Amino acid sequence: MKFIASTTTRLLFPVMLAASLAACQTTSSPLVDGDSGVSYGDAKAVETVTTDLGSTDIQMTSEKMTQSLLQHPLVREIIRKRQLVVASPVQNKTSEYFDTALISDTILVQLQKNGIRYVVAGDEMQNQVDELRRQNQSGLYNQAKTAKIGNMQGAKYRIDGSVSSIKKRNANVKDVYYKINLRLIEIESGIVEWSDEKEIRKTARR
Amino acid sequence: MKQMTMIAALSLALGGVALPLQAAAAEGGSIASKVEQLGEMTYLTFTDMRAVHRDGLLRVQVTLFNTSASNEQLFYRFRWLDADGFSVWEEEPWKPETIYGKQSKVLNVTSPTLKAVDFRIEVQSPSNSTSGHQHPASSADNPPYR
Repeated sequence: MKFIASTTTRLLFPVMLAASLAACQTTSSPLVDGDSGVSYGDAKAVETVTTDLGSTDIQMTSEKMTQSLLQHPLVREIIRKRQLVVASPVQNKTSEYFDTALISDTILVQLQKNGIRYVVAGDEMQNQVDELRRQNQSGLYNQAKTAKIGNMQGAKYRIDGSVSSIKKRNANVKDVYYKINLRLIEIESGIVEWSDEKEIRKTARR
Repeated sequence: MKQMTMIAALSLALGGVALPLQAAAAEGGSIASKVEQLGEMTYLTFTDMRAVHRDGLLRVQVTLFNTSASNEQLFYRFRWLDADGFSVWEEEPWKPETIYGKQSKVLNVTSPTLKAVDFRIEVQSPSNSTSGHQHPASSADNPPYR
């Protein structure tokens, strides 16, 4: 019996050792980084790298504006009647550069998820015109099946707005106050049907 | 969970019918059941939470109290759910909120979609403690800010 136990131990030891060593190993990640030090972060994290307008400001503003718009009875009517909305460029009145389309584009995407339809405008309009011309004037397409010129639909409402800032600084502190204002305007009458604003204060110690 | 022992009412009013629930209750409508903490809040406590379904949107009001005399930083975001517990909106951005010493702060939020009938609030504070069991992805050492 003693011999059997001893033999069993001798046989099991390498197996147990291999199993324990295997448990200590790490698995390789599906990653090619070349020791670059680059990594992916959380796009929804609060970003406080500088006092400049950043991703968190854009995300918070878009979220607040969408929530505010959805609460307005007119927006519910726009959804119900399937009326069209267009976004005019948001004016950047601050001294720093950032793409204001980030705000309006995000709001339009979030509104569309709730049933609002919007039409292309601004920079995207040229692509739309180019495609219509290509289909109708290039002679390459079957004219019975092309999208016809003159059938685009105009929006009933437009969204526009502005971003303003006040900057203050002394030897120790830099303080920036942002105000982002958005409006929903009936295009035919020019009446502002809805407006809201988001205030943001960012302070940095120098 | 000790922060939630304070008796506070969560009125979850769906379809116009208010259902007042106690914070300490184990049912799905208690404050504790709606809150997901990353770590455990050391100084911030939920004192009240209300939700009402109005005009197709879920409106939530949360009241937090800072038990400390110093300012506390809070990071929060909501998760919007349908009746079956599925998420009906994209992951929200974390939002920062400063709560002054001994201040009660009210957060008013409306769901960004008409599909939401329930919610969870995810909260983190840099002062959170990490003692005890917690979700592996949750840690006060990894706050949601950069």
